[in-house]
Amino acid sequence: MSEVIVPKKKEGAMGGGVKRDYQGKEKGKRDTGAGGAADHPRNAYTSMFESFRDELDEHHDRRMRTGKVSRDVTALSKKIVRKLSQPIPERIQSEIDGRLKEIAELLETIQPDVQGMNRYRYPLICLEEFVEAVSFAHYLRHQTLITPAEAQDVLPADIQLTAADYVFGIFDLTGEMMRFATAVTALSGSMPTGDGPQKETDDGKRTILADMQDVSSILQISPTVGKFNTYAKKLDIMIEQVRKVERLGYGVVVRGNERPKGWMPDLNEDFSGGRGGDDITMTD
Amino acid sequence: MASDNNSNMIDPAIFEYLKAHGEEEIEVGDKLHQISAALNRNISTCQGLLSRIHSTPSSKLAPLLKQVEETGIHPEIEGVGELAQFASKYPYYKYNNRWARSIQNVVGTILLTAWLGGMGTESQPGELGRLLTIEDIGGILKVPVNLKDRDAFHVTIEEYLLALTDITEELSRLAMNSVTMGDVALTVRISSFIKDLFAGFQLLNLKNDIVRKRVDAVKYHVKKVEDVIYDLSLRNLLPKTE
Repeated sequence: MSEVIVPKKKEGAMGGGVKRDYQGKEKGKRDTGAGGAADHPRNAYTSMFESFRDELDEHHDRRMRTGKVSRDVTALSKKIVRKLSQPIPERIQSEIDGRLKEIAELLETIQPDVQGMNRYRYPLICLEEFVEAVSFAHYLRHQTLITPAEAQDVLPADIQLTAADYVFGIFDLTGEMMRFATAVTALSGSMPTGDGPQKETDDGKRTILADMQDVSSILQISPTVGKFNTYAKKLDIMIEQVRKVERLGYGVVVRGNERPKGWMPDLNEDFSGGRGGDDITMTD
Repeated sequence: MASDNNSNMIDPAIFEYLKAHGEEEIEVGDKLHQISAALNRNISTCQGLLSRIHSTPSSKLAPLLKQVEETGIHPEIEGVGELAQFASKYPYYKYNNRWARSIQNVVGTILLTAWLGGMGTESQPGELGRLLTIEDIGGILKVPVNLKDRDAFHVTIEEYLLALTDITEELSRLAMNSVTMGDVALTVRISSFIKDLFAGFQLLNLKNDIVRKRVDAVKYHVKKVEDVIYDLSLRNLLPKTE
Protein backbone atom coordinates (compact mmCIF):
# COMPACT_ATOMS: atom_id res chain seq x y z
CA MET A 1 0.00 0.00 0.00
CA SER A 2 2.50 2.56 1.16
CA GLU A 3 4.75 2.02 -1.82
CA VAL A 4 2.09 3.54 -4.00
CA ILE A 5 1.60 6.58 -1.82
CA VAL A 6 5.21 7.52 -1.33
CA PRO A 7 7.20 6.90 -4.48
CA LYS A 8 10.86 7.31 -3.77
CA LYS A 9 14.04 6.68 -5.57
CA LYS A 10 15.28 3.20 -4.99
CA GLU A 11 18.76 2.60 -3.71
CA GLY A 12 19.88 -0.67 -5.23
CA ALA A 13 19.96 -1.43 -8.93
CA MET A 14 17.36 -4.11 -8.43
CA GLY A 15 15.27 -1.79 -6.33
CA GLY A 16 13.80 -4.77 -4.48
CA GLY A 17 11.93 -4.37 -1.24
CA VAL A 18 12.31 -1.24 0.83
CA LYS A 19 11.36 -1.49 4.45
CA ARG A 20 9.11 1.32 5.59
CA ASP A 21 7.72 2.41 8.88
CA TYR A 22 4.05 2.89 9.59
CA GLN A 23 4.00 6.31 7.91
CA GLY A 24 5.45 4.91 4.74
CA LYS A 25 8.84 6.51 5.21
CA GLU A 26 11.85 4.50 4.32
CA LYS A 27 13.52 2.95 7.29
CA GLY A 28 17.17 3.76 7.71
CA LYS A 29 19.47 0.79 7.58
CA ARG A 30 20.35 -0.29 11.05
CA ASP A 31 23.82 -1.53 11.39
CA THR A 32 23.47 -5.04 12.58
CA GLY A 33 25.67 -8.04 12.16
CA ALA A 34 29.39 -7.92 12.62
CA GLY A 35 29.67 -4.18 13.11
CA GLY A 36 26.84 -4.13 15.63
CA ALA A 37 28.22 -6.99 17.64
CA ALA A 38 31.64 -5.44 17.92
CA ASP A 39 30.55 -2.32 19.76
CA HIS A 40 28.12 -4.26 21.89
CA PRO A 41 28.94 -3.35 25.47
CA ARG A 42 30.63 -6.20 27.24
CA ASN A 43 29.84 -7.31 30.74
CA ALA A 44 30.98 -9.99 33.13
CA TYR A 45 29.04 -12.69 31.33
CA THR A 46 29.70 -11.79 27.71
CA SER A 47 32.51 -14.25 27.15
CA MET A 48 30.55 -17.03 28.81
CA PHE A 49 27.64 -16.47 26.49
CA GLU A 50 29.96 -16.25 23.52
CA SER A 51 31.33 -19.69 24.24
CA PHE A 52 27.77 -21.01 24.65
CA ARG A 53 26.87 -19.43 21.34
CA ASP A 54 29.68 -21.27 19.58
CA GLU A 55 28.67 -24.56 21.16
CA LEU A 56 25.02 -24.13 20.27
CA ASP A 57 25.91 -23.10 16.71
CA GLU A 58 27.86 -26.32 16.31
CA HIS A 59 24.90 -28.28 17.60
CA HIS A 60 22.43 -26.55 15.29
CA ASP A 61 24.74 -27.05 12.32
CA ARG A 62 24.95 -30.74 13.04
CA ARG A 63 21.21 -30.96 13.38
CA MET A 64 20.70 -29.17 10.07
CA ARG A 65 23.18 -31.38 8.27
CA THR A 66 21.70 -34.60 9.58
CA GLY A 67 18.17 -33.38 8.91
CA LYS A 68 18.98 -32.57 5.31
CA VAL A 69 20.78 -35.81 4.64
CA SER A 70 17.97 -37.69 6.33
CA ARG A 71 15.42 -36.17 3.96
CA ASP A 72 17.55 -36.96 0.91
CA VAL A 73 18.20 -40.53 1.96
CA THR A 74 14.49 -40.98 2.69
CA ALA A 75 13.64 -39.84 -0.82
CA LEU A 76 16.23 -42.19 -2.33
CA SER A 77 14.98 -45.11 -0.25
CA LYS A 78 11.44 -44.48 -1.38
CA LYS A 79 12.60 -44.42 -4.99
CA ILE A 80 14.24 -47.80 -4.49
CA VAL A 81 11.05 -49.23 -3.01
CA ARG A 82 8.97 -48.01 -5.95
CA LYS A 83 11.24 -49.74 -8.42
CA LEU A 84 11.28 -53.08 -6.68
CA SER A 85 9.30 -55.90 -8.21
CA GLN A 86 9.79 -59.58 -8.73
CA PRO A 87 11.94 -60.75 -10.34
CA ILE A 88 14.35 -57.85 -10.16
CA PRO A 89 15.57 -57.22 -13.72
CA GLU A 90 19.14 -56.26 -14.50
CA ARG A 91 18.27 -52.71 -15.43
CA ILE A 92 16.38 -52.04 -12.21
CA GLN A 93 19.11 -53.69 -10.18
CA SER A 94 21.73 -51.34 -11.58
CA GLU A 95 19.48 -48.37 -10.87
CA ILE A 96 19.04 -49.55 -7.30
CA ASP A 97 22.79 -49.99 -6.95
CA GLY A 98 23.24 -46.43 -8.15
CA ARG A 99 20.83 -45.13 -5.55
CA LEU A 100 22.53 -47.15 -2.83
CA LYS A 101 25.77 -45.53 -3.85
CA GLU A 102 24.18 -42.09 -3.52
CA ILE A 103 22.88 -43.03 -0.09
CA ALA A 104 26.35 -44.15 0.90
CA GLU A 105 27.84 -40.82 -0.18
CA LEU A 106 25.19 -38.83 1.67
CA LEU A 107 25.47 -40.80 4.87
CA GLU A 108 29.22 -40.52 4.79
CA THR A 109 28.97 -36.73 5.08
CA ILE A 110 27.13 -36.93 8.39
CA GLN A 111 28.98 -39.91 9.78
CA PRO A 112 31.02 -37.81 12.25
CA ASP A 113 27.87 -35.98 13.35
CA VAL A 114 26.10 -39.07 14.58
CA GLN A 115 28.98 -41.00 16.12
CA GLY A 116 29.01 -42.22 19.70
CA MET A 117 26.90 -40.16 22.03
CA ASN A 118 25.33 -38.16 19.23
CA ARG A 119 23.75 -41.21 17.62
CA TYR A 120 20.55 -40.69 19.58
CA ARG A 121 20.81 -36.90 19.62
CA TYR A 122 19.53 -36.16 16.13
CA PRO A 123 16.58 -37.87 14.50
CA LEU A 124 17.55 -40.04 11.53
CA ILE A 125 14.19 -41.11 10.15
CA CYS A 126 15.89 -42.09 6.91
CA LEU A 127 17.27 -45.25 8.50
CA GLU A 128 13.74 -46.60 8.90
CA GLU A 129 13.08 -45.88 5.27
CA PHE A 130 16.35 -47.50 4.35
CA VAL A 131 15.46 -50.65 6.30
CA GLU A 132 12.10 -50.68 4.54
CA ALA A 133 13.79 -50.60 1.15
CA VAL A 134 16.44 -53.23 1.87
CA SER A 135 14.08 -55.52 3.73
CA PHE A 136 11.64 -55.46 0.83
CA ALA A 137 14.41 -56.22 -1.65
CA HIS A 138 15.59 -58.99 0.68
CA TYR A 139 12.09 -60.42 0.90
CA LEU A 140 11.63 -60.44 -2.86
CA ARG A 141 14.92 -62.29 -3.31
CA HIS A 142 14.77 -64.75 -0.44
CA GLN A 143 11.21 -64.68 0.92
CA THR A 144 12.61 -64.22 4.39
CA LEU A 145 12.70 -61.37 6.83
CA ILE A 146 15.99 -59.53 6.92
CA THR A 147 17.77 -59.80 10.27
CA PRO A 148 19.03 -56.73 12.13
CA ALA A 149 22.60 -57.86 11.50
CA GLU A 150 21.99 -58.22 7.77
CA ALA A 151 20.34 -54.81 7.64
CA GLN A 152 23.33 -53.30 9.43
CA ASP A 153 25.66 -55.01 6.96
CA VAL A 154 24.01 -53.48 3.91
CA LEU A 155 23.87 -50.02 5.48
CA PRO A 156 26.62 -48.31 3.51
CA ALA A 157 28.01 -46.22 6.34
CA ASP A 158 29.52 -46.64 9.75
CA ILE A 159 26.33 -45.63 11.52
CA GLN A 160 24.76 -47.80 14.16
CA LEU A 161 21.32 -49.11 13.27
CA THR A 162 19.16 -48.98 16.39
CA ALA A 163 16.47 -51.47 17.32
CA ALA A 164 13.86 -48.78 16.73
CA ASP A 165 15.20 -48.07 13.22
CA TYR A 166 14.97 -51.75 12.42
CA VAL A 167 11.51 -52.36 13.85
CA PHE A 168 9.95 -49.24 12.34
CA GLY A 169 11.42 -50.19 8.98
CA ILE A 170 9.84 -53.64 9.25
CA PHE A 171 6.50 -52.04 10.05
CA ASP A 172 6.76 -50.16 6.78
CA LEU A 173 7.77 -53.36 5.00
CA THR A 174 4.33 -54.87 5.55
CA GLY A 175 2.82 -51.94 3.67
CA GLU A 176 5.03 -52.72 0.71
CA MET A 177 4.19 -56.42 0.95
CA MET A 178 0.53 -55.52 0.88
CA ARG A 179 0.92 -53.43 -2.26
CA PHE A 180 2.97 -56.14 -3.87
CA ALA A 181 0.44 -58.84 -2.96
CA THR A 182 -2.40 -56.76 -4.36
CA ALA A 183 -0.67 -55.98 -7.62
CA VAL A 184 0.46 -59.54 -8.27
CA THR A 185 -2.92 -60.97 -7.37
CA ALA A 186 -4.62 -58.57 -9.71
CA LEU A 187 -2.34 -59.53 -12.56
CA SER A 188 -2.07 -63.28 -12.06
CA GLY A 189 -5.31 -64.10 -10.28
CA SER A 190 -3.55 -65.81 -7.40
CA MET A 191 -1.65 -64.83 -4.31
CA PRO A 192 2.14 -64.58 -4.76
CA THR A 193 4.07 -67.49 -3.27
CA GLY A 194 7.67 -68.17 -2.59
CA ASP A 195 9.49 -70.13 -5.27
CA GLY A 196 12.11 -71.86 -3.17
CA PRO A 197 11.63 -75.52 -2.24
CA GLN A 198 11.92 -74.68 1.46
CA LYS A 199 8.62 -72.94 1.16
CA GLU A 200 6.68 -76.18 0.79
CA THR A 201 4.42 -77.01 3.67
CA ASP A 202 1.60 -79.46 4.05
CA ASP A 203 -0.82 -76.92 2.76
CA GLY A 204 1.12 -76.29 -0.40
CA LYS A 205 3.26 -73.26 -1.00
CA ARG A 206 3.51 -70.53 1.55
CA THR A 207 1.89 -67.37 0.39
CA ILE A 208 2.86 -63.79 1.07
CA LEU A 209 -0.19 -63.66 3.31
CA ALA A 210 1.25 -66.28 5.64
CA ASP A 211 4.50 -64.32 5.76
CA MET A 212 2.72 -61.11 6.61
CA GLN A 213 0.77 -62.88 9.33
CA ASP A 214 4.02 -64.16 10.79
CA VAL A 215 5.65 -60.74 10.78
CA SER A 216 2.64 -59.16 12.36
CA SER A 217 2.39 -61.73 15.11
CA ILE A 218 6.06 -61.51 16.01
CA LEU A 219 5.85 -57.74 16.28
CA GLN A 220 2.74 -58.02 18.41
CA ILE A 221 4.46 -60.43 20.78
CA SER A 222 7.67 -58.41 21.09
CA PRO A 223 7.94 -55.68 23.69
CA THR A 224 7.80 -52.12 22.44
CA VAL A 225 11.00 -50.43 21.32
CA GLY A 226 11.44 -46.80 20.44
CA LYS A 227 8.75 -44.22 21.03
CA PHE A 228 5.71 -45.91 22.48
CA ASN A 229 3.11 -43.92 20.57
CA THR A 230 4.83 -44.38 17.24
CA TYR A 231 5.10 -48.09 17.87
CA ALA A 232 1.43 -48.43 18.78
CA LYS A 233 0.33 -46.45 15.75
CA LYS A 234 2.50 -48.39 13.35
CA LEU A 235 1.37 -51.66 14.89
CA ASP A 236 -2.29 -50.76 14.30
CA ILE A 237 -1.61 -49.86 10.71
CA MET A 238 0.26 -53.10 10.14
CA ILE A 239 -2.57 -55.21 11.57
CA GLU A 240 -5.01 -53.45 9.26
CA GLN A 241 -2.74 -54.15 6.29
CA VAL A 242 -2.60 -57.84 7.14
CA ARG A 243 -6.39 -57.93 7.34
CA LYS A 244 -6.66 -56.36 3.94
CA VAL A 245 -4.49 -59.06 2.42
CA GLU A 246 -6.53 -61.67 4.28
CA ARG A 247 -9.66 -60.35 2.57
CA LEU A 248 -7.79 -60.43 -0.69
CA GLY A 249 -6.87 -64.09 -0.18
CA TYR A 250 -10.45 -64.94 0.69
CA GLY A 251 -11.74 -63.14 -2.37
CA VAL A 252 -9.35 -65.01 -4.65
CA VAL A 253 -10.34 -68.41 -3.28
CA VAL A 254 -14.07 -67.81 -3.25
CA ARG A 255 -14.69 -65.91 -6.43
CA GLY A 256 -11.32 -65.72 -8.11
CA ASN A 257 -12.48 -67.29 -11.35
CA GLU A 258 -15.42 -65.00 -11.78
CA ARG A 259 -13.25 -62.00 -12.28
CA PRO A 260 -11.45 -60.93 -15.43
CA LYS A 261 -7.68 -60.71 -15.46
CA GLY A 262 -6.33 -57.34 -14.49
CA TRP A 263 -9.22 -56.67 -12.16
CA MET A 264 -8.05 -54.77 -9.11
CA PRO A 265 -9.47 -56.06 -5.87
CA ASP A 266 -11.13 -53.55 -3.60
CA LEU A 267 -9.39 -54.18 -0.31
CA ASN A 268 -11.83 -52.13 1.65
CA GLU A 269 -14.88 -54.11 0.70
CA ASP A 270 -16.71 -56.02 3.44
CA PHE A 271 -15.56 -56.20 7.04
CA SER A 272 -13.67 -52.95 6.81
CA GLY A 273 -15.49 -51.66 9.86
CA GLY A 274 -15.15 -48.03 9.03
CA ARG A 275 -11.38 -48.02 8.74
CA GLY A 276 -10.60 -46.59 5.37
CA GLY A 277 -7.65 -47.38 3.19
CA ASP A 278 -6.24 -43.93 3.63
CA ASP A 279 -4.10 -44.84 6.61
CA ILE A 280 -1.79 -47.19 4.80
CA THR A 281 1.20 -44.94 4.64
CA MET A 282 3.03 -43.17 7.37
CA THR A 283 5.62 -40.79 6.21
CA ASP A 284 7.55 -40.58 9.40
CA MET B 1 4.49 -78.80 10.90
CA ALA B 2 7.58 -78.43 8.87
CA SER B 3 7.96 -75.08 10.48
CA ASP B 4 7.18 -76.10 14.09
CA ASN B 5 5.61 -72.74 14.57
CA ASN B 6 8.88 -70.99 13.82
CA SER B 7 8.18 -70.06 10.27
CA ASN B 8 10.90 -70.24 7.67
CA MET B 9 10.21 -66.65 6.96
CA ILE B 10 11.55 -65.38 10.25
CA ASP B 11 14.90 -66.23 11.75
CA PRO B 12 14.33 -66.94 15.47
CA ALA B 13 17.30 -64.69 16.21
CA ILE B 14 15.15 -61.73 15.17
CA PHE B 15 12.67 -62.42 17.90
CA GLU B 16 15.47 -62.76 20.44
CA TYR B 17 16.87 -59.44 19.28
CA LEU B 18 13.52 -57.67 19.57
CA LYS B 19 12.84 -59.18 22.96
CA ALA B 20 16.24 -58.23 24.37
CA HIS B 21 16.04 -54.63 23.18
CA GLY B 22 12.43 -54.13 24.17
CA GLU B 23 12.94 -55.53 27.64
CA GLU B 24 16.00 -53.41 28.22
CA GLU B 25 14.11 -50.27 27.29
CA ILE B 26 11.29 -51.14 29.65
CA GLU B 27 13.62 -51.93 32.55
CA VAL B 28 15.70 -48.80 32.08
CA GLY B 29 12.55 -46.70 31.77
CA ASP B 30 11.14 -48.08 35.01
CA LYS B 31 14.35 -47.55 36.92
CA LEU B 32 14.76 -44.01 35.59
CA HIS B 33 11.21 -43.25 36.56
CA GLN B 34 11.94 -44.41 40.09
CA ILE B 35 15.18 -42.44 40.39
CA SER B 36 13.74 -39.24 38.98
CA ALA B 37 10.63 -39.45 41.15
CA ALA B 38 12.89 -39.47 44.23
CA LEU B 39 15.00 -36.64 42.78
CA ASN B 40 11.90 -34.59 42.02
CA ARG B 41 10.76 -34.90 45.62
CA ASN B 42 14.10 -33.48 46.75
CA ILE B 43 13.78 -30.69 44.21
CA SER B 44 10.32 -29.75 45.50
CA THR B 45 11.63 -29.58 49.04
CA CYS B 46 14.50 -27.39 47.95
CA GLN B 47 12.33 -25.07 45.87
CA GLY B 48 9.85 -24.79 48.70
CA LEU B 49 12.54 -23.77 51.16
CA LEU B 50 14.08 -21.41 48.67
CA SER B 51 10.76 -19.67 48.07
CA ARG B 52 11.07 -18.25 51.57
CA ILE B 53 13.62 -15.77 50.24
CA HIS B 54 10.64 -13.69 49.19
CA SER B 55 9.59 -13.18 52.77
CA THR B 56 12.99 -13.21 54.48
CA PRO B 57 14.71 -9.87 55.11
CA SER B 58 18.35 -9.67 54.05
CA SER B 59 19.56 -9.76 57.64
CA LYS B 60 18.10 -13.23 58.07
CA LEU B 61 18.99 -14.50 54.63
CA ALA B 62 22.24 -16.23 55.61
CA PRO B 63 20.66 -18.78 57.98
CA LEU B 64 17.92 -19.51 55.45
CA LEU B 65 20.46 -20.18 52.72
CA LYS B 66 22.37 -22.42 55.08
CA GLN B 67 19.19 -24.41 55.63
CA VAL B 68 18.49 -24.57 51.90
CA GLU B 69 21.97 -25.94 51.32
CA GLU B 70 21.73 -28.57 54.01
CA THR B 71 18.20 -29.83 53.67
CA GLY B 72 17.52 -28.89 50.06
CA ILE B 73 20.61 -28.94 47.90
CA HIS B 74 22.55 -31.76 49.53
CA PRO B 75 19.75 -34.30 48.94
CA GLU B 76 19.49 -32.99 45.37
CA ILE B 77 23.18 -33.61 44.83
CA GLU B 78 22.80 -37.16 46.10
CA GLY B 79 19.83 -37.72 43.81
CA VAL B 80 21.77 -36.46 40.82
CA GLY B 81 24.64 -38.73 41.79
CA GLU B 82 22.39 -41.77 41.76
CA LEU B 83 20.91 -40.74 38.43
CA ALA B 84 24.34 -40.11 36.93
CA GLN B 85 25.62 -43.49 38.02
CA PHE B 86 22.69 -45.37 36.50
CA ALA B 87 22.22 -43.27 33.39
CA SER B 88 25.87 -43.43 32.39
CA LYS B 89 25.43 -47.12 31.52
CA TYR B 90 23.13 -46.24 28.62
CA PRO B 91 23.29 -43.94 25.61
CA TYR B 92 22.89 -40.41 26.99
CA TYR B 93 20.61 -38.94 24.36
CA LYS B 94 18.41 -41.99 24.22
CA TYR B 95 16.98 -41.25 27.63
CA ASN B 96 18.02 -37.71 28.57
CA ASN B 97 14.56 -36.25 27.99
CA ARG B 98 13.45 -38.17 31.06
CA TRP B 99 15.56 -36.09 33.41
CA ALA B 100 16.49 -32.87 31.56
CA ARG B 101 13.77 -30.92 33.37
CA SER B 102 14.86 -32.21 36.78
CA ILE B 103 18.48 -31.29 36.13
CA GLN B 104 17.40 -27.84 35.02
CA ASN B 105 15.55 -27.39 38.31
CA VAL B 106 18.49 -28.63 40.37
CA VAL B 107 20.87 -26.28 38.57
CA GLY B 108 18.35 -23.46 39.05
CA THR B 109 18.15 -23.92 42.82
CA ILE B 110 21.94 -24.04 43.13
CA LEU B 111 22.43 -20.95 40.96
CA LEU B 112 19.88 -18.95 42.93
CA THR B 113 21.26 -19.98 46.31
CA ALA B 114 24.76 -19.09 45.21
CA TRP B 115 23.73 -15.76 43.72
CA LEU B 116 22.11 -14.77 46.99
CA GLY B 117 25.35 -15.50 48.82
CA GLY B 118 25.13 -19.18 49.65
CA MET B 119 27.11 -22.18 48.41
CA GLY B 120 30.33 -20.80 49.80
CA THR B 121 33.41 -23.02 49.90
CA GLU B 122 36.74 -22.55 51.59
CA SER B 123 38.42 -21.35 48.44
CA GLN B 124 35.42 -19.38 47.26
CA PRO B 125 33.36 -17.81 50.02
CA GLY B 126 29.75 -17.11 49.22
CA GLU B 127 28.92 -13.55 48.26
CA LEU B 128 25.91 -11.74 46.93
CA GLY B 129 25.78 -11.55 43.16
CA ARG B 130 28.03 -14.51 42.39
CA LEU B 131 26.93 -16.41 39.29
CA LEU B 132 28.24 -19.95 39.24
CA THR B 133 29.53 -21.11 35.88
CA ILE B 134 28.47 -24.39 34.33
CA GLU B 135 31.85 -25.77 35.41
CA ASP B 136 31.17 -24.72 39.01
CA ILE B 137 27.84 -26.54 38.79
CA GLY B 138 29.58 -29.65 37.52
CA GLY B 139 31.99 -29.45 40.46
CA ILE B 140 29.15 -29.17 42.96
CA LEU B 141 27.11 -31.99 41.43
CA LYS B 142 30.27 -34.05 40.83
CA VAL B 143 29.28 -34.75 37.24
CA PRO B 144 30.91 -33.72 33.96
CA VAL B 145 29.48 -30.81 31.98
CA ASN B 146 29.06 -30.33 28.24
CA LEU B 147 30.64 -33.69 27.59
CA LYS B 148 31.73 -34.32 24.02
CA ASP B 149 34.37 -37.00 23.95
CA ARG B 150 32.49 -39.86 25.59
CA ASP B 151 28.96 -41.02 26.21
CA ALA B 152 28.08 -40.53 29.86
CA PHE B 153 25.80 -38.53 32.07
CA HIS B 154 26.51 -34.79 32.12
CA VAL B 155 24.94 -31.36 32.47
CA THR B 156 24.26 -29.79 29.09
CA ILE B 157 24.57 -26.16 28.06
CA GLU B 158 20.86 -26.12 27.32
CA GLU B 159 20.04 -27.21 30.85
CA TYR B 160 22.29 -24.50 32.28
CA LEU B 161 20.80 -21.82 30.03
CA LEU B 162 17.27 -22.87 30.91
CA ALA B 163 18.18 -22.76 34.59
CA LEU B 164 19.41 -19.18 34.05
CA THR B 165 16.01 -18.23 32.68
CA ASP B 166 14.47 -19.79 35.77
CA ILE B 167 16.52 -17.65 38.10
CA THR B 168 15.85 -14.42 36.19
CA GLU B 169 12.19 -15.14 36.75
CA GLU B 170 12.68 -15.84 40.42
CA LEU B 171 14.90 -12.78 40.90
CA SER B 172 12.42 -10.51 39.14
CA ARG B 173 9.91 -11.56 41.76
CA LEU B 174 12.47 -10.99 44.49
CA ALA B 175 13.21 -7.51 43.14
CA MET B 176 9.70 -6.49 44.04
CA ASN B 177 9.56 -8.28 47.36
CA SER B 178 12.88 -6.93 48.55
CA VAL B 179 11.48 -3.42 48.12
CA THR B 180 8.59 -4.45 50.33
CA MET B 181 11.07 -5.73 52.87
CA GLY B 182 13.01 -2.48 52.72
CA ASP B 183 16.13 -3.66 50.88
CA VAL B 184 16.20 -1.41 47.85
CA ALA B 185 19.90 -2.03 47.28
CA LEU B 186 19.14 -5.68 46.49
CA THR B 187 16.58 -4.64 43.89
CA VAL B 188 19.14 -2.42 42.18
CA ARG B 189 21.64 -5.27 42.26
CA ILE B 190 19.11 -7.67 40.73
CA SER B 191 18.24 -5.15 38.05
CA SER B 192 21.78 -4.83 36.80
CA PHE B 193 22.36 -8.60 36.99
CA ILE B 194 19.26 -9.45 34.98
CA LYS B 195 20.12 -6.84 32.39
CA ASP B 196 23.61 -8.27 32.02
CA LEU B 197 22.20 -11.75 31.56
CA PHE B 198 19.65 -10.46 29.08
CA ALA B 199 22.45 -8.86 27.07
CA GLY B 200 24.23 -12.21 27.17
CA PHE B 201 21.20 -14.09 25.87
CA GLN B 202 21.06 -11.70 22.92
CA LEU B 203 24.39 -13.08 21.75
CA LEU B 204 22.99 -16.55 21.19
CA ASN B 205 21.76 -17.63 17.78
CA LEU B 206 18.66 -19.43 18.86
CA LYS B 207 16.64 -21.80 16.76
CA ASN B 208 13.01 -22.49 17.26
CA ASP B 209 13.26 -24.62 20.35
CA ILE B 210 12.61 -24.58 24.07
CA VAL B 211 15.69 -22.46 24.79
CA ARG B 212 14.41 -19.72 22.50
CA LYS B 213 10.98 -19.85 24.10
CA ARG B 214 12.39 -19.44 27.57
CA VAL B 215 14.93 -16.82 26.57
CA ASP B 216 12.15 -14.81 24.94
CA ALA B 217 10.45 -14.72 28.31
CA VAL B 218 13.51 -13.13 29.94
CA LYS B 219 12.60 -9.73 28.51
CA TYR B 220 9.44 -9.78 30.61
CA HIS B 221 11.54 -10.46 33.68
CA VAL B 222 13.69 -7.46 32.75
CA LYS B 223 10.60 -5.34 32.28
CA LYS B 224 9.17 -6.38 35.61
CA VAL B 225 12.33 -5.24 37.37
CA GLU B 226 12.53 -2.03 35.34
CA ASP B 227 9.02 -1.16 36.39
CA VAL B 228 10.03 -1.52 40.03
CA ILE B 229 13.12 0.61 39.50
CA TYR B 230 11.00 3.22 37.72
CA ASP B 231 8.58 3.41 40.65
CA LEU B 232 11.48 3.85 43.03
CA SER B 233 13.29 6.49 41.00
CA LEU B 234 10.07 8.46 40.54
CA ARG B 235 9.83 8.81 44.30
CA ASN B 236 13.54 9.35 44.86
CA LEU B 237 13.75 6.09 46.76
CA LEU B 238 16.81 4.79 44.97
CA PRO B 239 19.98 4.80 47.03
CA LYS B 240 22.48 7.41 45.86
CA THR B 241 25.32 5.80 43.99
CA GLU B 242 28.40 8.08 44.20
